[in-house]
Amino acid sequence: MTKKIKEIAIYGKGGIGKSTTTSNISAALSDAGYNVMQVGCDPKSDSTNTLTGGKSIPTVLDSLRKGRGALKVEDVIFEGFNGIHCVEAGGPEPGVGCAGRGIITAVEFLKQENVYEEYSPDIVLYDVLGDVVCGGFAMPIREGVADQVYTVSSADFMAIYAANNLFKGIKKYSTGGGALFSGLIANSITFGAQKEILEDFTKQTKSTIAGFVPRSLTVTQAELSGKTTIEASPDSEQADVYRKLAKDIYNNKEEYVPSPLESDELKDWAESWSDKLLDLKKQEEGDFKI
Amino acid sequence: MSKDEKEHIDESSSPRIVEAPRYGCTLSGAYEAAVGLNEGVPILHSGSGCGMSQLFGANYGGAQNAPGDYGGSSTPCSCLVEEHVIFGGEDKLRKLIDSTIKISTGEFFTVISGCVPSLIGDDVDAIVSEFRDKAPIIHVNAPGFKGNSFEGYELFFEALADQYLTPSSEKQKNLINILGIVPYQHIFWKGELKAIKDLLARLDIEANVLFGEFDTVEKIQKIPSAAYNIILSPWIGHRAAKKIEDKFETPFLSFPGIPIGPIQTTKFLRKLAEILPIDKTKLEELITSEERRAYRQIEYAGDILQFDVPNVYFGVVADSNTAISVSRYLTDEVGQLPDIIIVTDNPPKEYRENILKELTGSEEIGFTPDIVFEIDSYKIGQILKDRPFLNLYASSLESVIKDELETTHVTVSFPSYNRVVLGDNYVGYDGGSSLIEDLFYDKAGPL
Repeated sequence: MTKKIKEIAIYGKGGIGKSTTTSNISAALSDAGYNVMQVGCDPKSDSTNTLTGGKSIPTVLDSLRKGRGALKVEDVIFEGFNGIHCVEAGGPEPGVGCAGRGIITAVEFLKQENVYEEYSPDIVLYDVLGDVVCGGFAMPIREGVADQVYTVSSADFMAIYAANNLFKGIKKYSTGGGALFSGLIANSITFGAQKEILEDFTKQTKSTIAGFVPRSLTVTQAELSGKTTIEASPDSEQADVYRKLAKDIYNNKEEYVPSPLESDELKDWAESWSDKLLDLKKQEEGDFKI
Repeated sequence: MSKDEKEHIDESSSPRIVEAPRYGCTLSGAYEAAVGLNEGVPILHSGSGCGMSQLFGANYGGAQNAPGDYGGSSTPCSCLVEEHVIFGGEDKLRKLIDSTIKISTGEFFTVISGCVPSLIGDDVDAIVSEFRDKAPIIHVNAPGFKGNSFEGYELFFEALADQYLTPSSEKQKNLINILGIVPYQHIFWKGELKAIKDLLARLDIEANVLFGEFDTVEKIQKIPSAAYNIILSPWIGHRAAKKIEDKFETPFLSFPGIPIGPIQTTKFLRKLAEILPIDKTKLEELITSEERRAYRQIEYAGDILQFDVPNVYFGVVADSNTAISVSRYLTDEVGQLPDIIIVTDNPPKEYRENILKELTGSEEIGFTPDIVFEIDSYKIGQILKDRPFLNLYASSLESVIKDELETTHVTVSFPSYNRVVLGDNYVGYDGGSSLIEDLFYDKAGPL
């Protein structure tokens, strides 16, 4: 009997740290003894770079281009840090073609080729460009792909905006058996106010926070050397943060449909925080900086 | 008007499902224009099905016509597949245009972008520009979803004006362009255009009809030199005319359809004589002799028209051009009574009032027919039931229910799968007689 594979999709606005977070979760889970696969679903194709020593790997779409019939699964699955199976969907050059269709094609290929049966991972993490700009980027949350969705977000408005859009996508597909939401990963948290903003956002959208990841130089250093924090600084505090996050995510059973805010509601909510921040700034001048 | 606003259907914004509309998508209209040119080569940048469906939908539907050397199953097509959707199809298109120009004996090339390149944003204009010094070529950006065949026809002319035509130093006073007749979509297009051209030639006016003509490139290049654009449709070709007016300062004059029979033809010629250098004496001589001849000719049908059913009710299911011209001829000249007219080409709302006015402008009868704008063939079939008409001028889609409707059927509009039309048409002084001939084709028998 085929074992139940945990498949989760991690979305986040470009540059928000979702690949860093995902790769560290993968590394932590792998360290803990799980068989992990990470699938980068971003045409930039750099999701797994820190798992492969900073090197880019050939993508599913690059290989498909060379001839669908000739493509073997082993051409697109590469072993990264601690035996993590790394896959990059790939995509077109910026400004041409349709990256969304690329994601659909790549994910379909992996499903059709029974990759998961063959490699038998305990967990598959899809690292997805999080603006959900079209149906292609919603592919991992449709029925039959991921079970749980997380979003990486900072307290910046545009990151929250992207998270809110993701909630809309989840809500849309939820009626057809699509993936459900399991929590927001609060990233780059430095100040108390940032934490409060995200907590308030999850309250407004009837969602939850899966974990907080503080901003840290250790992460930057590790990335510059082409590694995850787990690999580069296993004894650091930040590595512990990722280990805890990975464990929480693996054990997280929460799955629900969040309640996205309408654009006007989101705007009003953001404005209310703008006022609060100004007050805070006045109160904590010198301590709190925007 | 007897029918209210709810029948003014704007299909482009309507979510409803429609059975067998009588036109194709935007790409279809651009393709019809491209292959309507003799030695015109359409190059489709689309999936392969987009081309094949034109063969069965547009060409065979357009009165069982084969599209010639460069259309149908011979259409060069980039046949886009998943790889091109993801990575873009520009490179394949470049190779396709290059090889087409090299091996084709065609004269004018029309690259037509379908849904896929428009969705993924292929820069087709840039690719086509690479070939401008190698052959006469334009790009019509015609994603199917943008509208219907008539939109494609307008886009074809807009592309011509923007990309190919150059202003002429002088307008040729006796030269006019004819717009508003869409190849294949108006099933009598070849005959109609030739008949218009021949009629005007008798008054020393040169009608540049483009489609179905030889020396295609030369004819296209003459467009900006024309003194006028003459539109033979209450709405199709109007955008094209406005574009040419903006670019080349060519004024336009619009007629509700092709002129059928003496009344419409004489009115058409007199109107043209107001703006074109037509010799008035010559015109009146032509009118007098042609009307005399045409009316004598139709007298031969006088008995059968009376023996059949005098002042018979008739119905029409056709595009606006055809609906207006046919209805008015039968009403004004034959004494038949319009019972219902169904307009099937989905004219934009702003043109509908004028279409209604043209359809109901006859002073020959003291009532107006029911007029319905409808594009759904099932609904059209339902609307036609239990009505008093005994003759129906419609498309081949209605021919299959003619027994049920207990009517005589004449195919005059798209699609025409049951009638081959090569040069047939109803234009001019003899046009009405031809229509009556067709009406009695299988009615006058049996022995």
